[in-house]
Amino acid sequence: MASLKNSWLSRVGIVVLAAVMVEILSIMQYEHVQQALLEETDLRSRVVMNSMAEEIQHTLERTEIIMRENLWDIKRSMAHPDSVFGAVVRLIDDDRNLVGGCLAFRPYFYPSKGRLYEPYASLQPDGTIKVEQIAGPDHDYTLNEEYLWVLENRSTSWTDPYKYGPDSLSFTTYLIPIYDEQGAIEAVCGLDIDLSWLGDTLNSRQPFPSSFGLLLTPDGELVAGPSQSRTPEEEVKQVLDVLNGHIPASDLPGVSFTRTRLFKDPFWQVVEVYKKDEIYARVRRQRRQQMLFIVLGLAILAFMINRYARNERKLREASEEKARIAGELAVAHRIQQQMLPKTFPPFVYGSLEPALEVGGDLFDFFTRDGKLFFCIGDVTGKGVPSAMLMSVAHSLFRILSQKTDSPARILESMNHELNRGNDSNMFITFFVGCLDLYSGELRFSNAGHDKPFLVNGAISLLPSKSNLPLAVFPDTQFEEQTYTLAPGTLLLLYTDGLTEAKNVVRKTFGRPRIQEVLERFRNNPDQTLCCLVTTLSEAAHAFAGEAPQSDDLTMLALRFEPDHNRSEQITLVNKESEVTRLGTFVKDFLAPLELDKKLASGLRLALEEAVVNVIYYAYPVGEQGEILINADTNGKEVRFTITDCGYPFDPTTVLKPDTTLDAQNRPIGGLGIFLSRKLMDSISYSRIGHKNVLFLTKNIL
Amino acid sequence: MTTTIQETDERIIAVLSGEMDTAAAAQVEKELQPLLDSKGKEIVLDCKELEYISSSGLRVLLSILKQAQCVGSRVVLKNVNDVIRDVLDISGFISIFDVE
Repeated sequence: MASLKNSWLSRVGIVVLAAVMVEILSIMQYEHVQQALLEETDLRSRVVMNSMAEEIQHTLERTEIIMRENLWDIKRSMAHPDSVFGAVVRLIDDDRNLVGGCLAFRPYFYPSKGRLYEPYASLQPDGTIKVEQIAGPDHDYTLNEEYLWVLENRSTSWTDPYKYGPDSLSFTTYLIPIYDEQGAIEAVCGLDIDLSWLGDTLNSRQPFPSSFGLLLTPDGELVAGPSQSRTPEEEVKQVLDVLNGHIPASDLPGVSFTRTRLFKDPFWQVVEVYKKDEIYARVRRQRRQQMLFIVLGLAILAFMINRYARNERKLREASEEKARIAGELAVAHRIQQQMLPKTFPPFVYGSLEPALEVGGDLFDFFTRDGKLFFCIGDVTGKGVPSAMLMSVAHSLFRILSQKTDSPARILESMNHELNRGNDSNMFITFFVGCLDLYSGELRFSNAGHDKPFLVNGAISLLPSKSNLPLAVFPDTQFEEQTYTLAPGTLLLLYTDGLTEAKNVVRKTFGRPRIQEVLERFRNNPDQTLCCLVTTLSEAAHAFAGEAPQSDDLTMLALRFEPDHNRSEQITLVNKESEVTRLGTFVKDFLAPLELDKKLASGLRLALEEAVVNVIYYAYPVGEQGEILINADTNGKEVRFTITDCGYPFDPTTVLKPDTTLDAQNRPIGGLGIFLSRKLMDSISYSRIGHKNVLFLTKNIL
Repeated sequence: MTTTIQETDERIIAVLSGEMDTAAAAQVEKELQPLLDSKGKEIVLDCKELEYISSSGLRVLLSILKQAQCVGSRVVLKNVNDVIRDVLDISGFISIFDVE
C-alpha cells in the first residue's frame, strides 16, 4: 500500500515539476515578449509621431509660406485702409486652414481711422466671410502680449491655442510683422488657424482602438486631441494631469506615453497615449492559447506516465506472478515427490520422472498383513490439472486399500469417488495389485492401463483384462484376476512415458526395446531392481536424445522373493474341542522360533480367540463347517490366516468392550476378539469369493 | 488341565494347573462348582501351575467372582505368573480380582 502511494506521489510529483518548469519558462517568455512588445510599440509610435510631427510642422510651414507669399497683396492694399479687408478675405479664401485673419496697425497708422485700427475677416459656419473692424476700447490690441512680443522681437510668432467660447473651435494665431521700406513695423498680420484638424490628423491612424494622440504646448496645455467620441474628455484630462505632474504616473498604471516635440516654433509636443492592455492583448491571447497547449501537453504527459507506470506495474506483477507460480510448482513438485515411497525393500523399486514440474503419473506400494499392495496410474494429460487429479487418486488408493484386499473393490470405490463432479473429462488408467508375499498369489485389477511385463523363464505380458479407465463412468465394473507368481518372478509396471518416449524423428521407444533390457536383466539375476529401473530410464533418455521428455516416465518393478522359512497349515471343524488341536498346532509351529514365553502365549491366545469366534458364529447352529488355518513366518513376523466358508462376518468391526467395569457389570462374553486385537500388531478381514479371510500378523523381533 | 479343591474353616483353596483354553473351560467350570457355594468363606485360586488362560477361562473366573460377591466372599488369585498376569492386565480383570 505504501509503495502504491509512493508511486502515485512520484507520478504526481513529475507532472507538477514539469508544470512548474513549463510555467516558469512561459512567464519568462511572456515577460520578455511583453517588454519587447512595449519597446516595439514605443519605437513604432515614435516613428508615427515623428511623421505626424513632421506633417504638422509641414502644414504650419505651408501656412506660413502662403501667408508670406500673400503679404505683397496685403502690403499693396495697405495704401488704402478699407481695401485691407479685401486682401484679408482673399487670404482666407486661399487657404482652407485659415478661418480668420486680421491686421493690427501701429497706432495712428491711418490717421483717419484713429489710434487703433484692426480690420478682421472670419469664416462663418455657412461658408461666407464676415468682415469687421474689431479694435476698440474693449479690445486694445496694443496691450496684447503677443503683439508686443512681435514688435519687440521683430519675428513671427505662433500664439498658444485659444478659444472664443466654450463651444468655439480651438485656434492658434500666426503673427507676422509687416515692415515698411525702412524696416519699421507698420502692422502685425494675424492669421487664425483652426486646430481641430490637428486632432483628427493625430488620431486618424492609431495603432490600437483606445490609443490616442495629443498635441500640447510646451507648457503642457492641450492644443489638439482625440474627438469626444473616440476618447472621453475625463480620460484625456487624467492623462494631462499626469503629463503635467499634477498626479503621479503610478495613478495610471495601465497607461503608457511617448512624447516628441516639434523642432521649431511653436515647439508643440506630440504625445502618444496608449493602454498597456491593448499592447499586450495579442500576447495575452497567445499566452492563453499557449497555456491551453501546455495544460493539454501536461495532461498527455500525466496520461503517459500513468500508462507507463501501469504497464510497468503489470509487467512486475506478471513477473512476480510467474515467480510465484514457479515457486508453487516447485512446492507442488516436492509435495508430489514426497507422497511417493522413498524407501524400498529389496523386492520393490519405483521411480517417477515428471515431464513438467508436476506430473499426472503415480506409483505407490505398501505392505500389510504380509501382502504387498501396489499401484501405478497415469492421468490423461500432464501438468498441474493432471497432478491434482492424481493426488486425489493417490489419497483414495491409500485410504481404500486399508479397508479391503480386493484390487477390484479398491478400483470400484476409487472410480465412484473420482466420478463425483469430474467435469474436466480427464480419466486415469490405473493398475492395482495385491501380492501375497508368502504364497506369491497376485490379485490384480486393471483399469485400462498398459499390461505389465512378466519376467520368469520367459518375458511376457501379464495376461490382464482391460477394464475401462477410472473416472469414465461411475458404475464401471472392474474384473479382478489372480495369477500366482513363481519365486523369482519379476513384474514390471510402467506408464506410456516409457513405451512412447519419442526421439527427434518422432519414433517411439516401444516394447521391443524394453524387452531387450529385460532380457539382459534376466540373464544377470544379481542385478537389483533399482538397477533395472535406472537402466530402462537411461535407455529411454538415450533413445529420445535431444527431444524433450514428452510425458511423465514412471516405472514400478517388483520381484516375488519368498523369504519365509516356514509355512504350516491345519484344518479344523467348527467344534470347541478342536481348540486343543489348535493349541498343539500353534505351540509346535512357534517352538522353533524360541520366543519369549509371554509372546508365544499371546500369539496362541490371539489365534485361539479368533478361531473360537469362527467356531461359535460362522456357521448355522448344528451345521458342520471347516476352518483353515495357515501359519507363516519369515523369522521376523508371524502371520496367521483363518479362512472359513461361513456367513460374511468382519470381526474387526466388533466394538471394544469396556474393561473398566466392575465385576457385577462386566458381561460374560465379548472379550475374545478384543484380546486378539490387543495381542497382535494387526488384524484384517477380507471377503474373498465366498470365504471370510482373517489375517493376524505380529512382529516377533 | 486339572483342579484340586481344599476346604478349611476360613477359606476354600482351588489349585489350578495346566492350560485353561476354550476346550478346557467347560470342564473346569464344572469342577469348580463347589466354589459357588462358599458360605462367606474366602476363595483362594492358586494359579501357581496355571500356564495359559483364554477368554473362556476368564469367563469361568468372572462367574465365580460374581457369585462370591453376592454372598459377601472375597476371591483371591495367588501365585499368578507373568503370562497370566499379562492377560488379566489386558482384559482389565486385574482390577476386579484381588491378586496376591
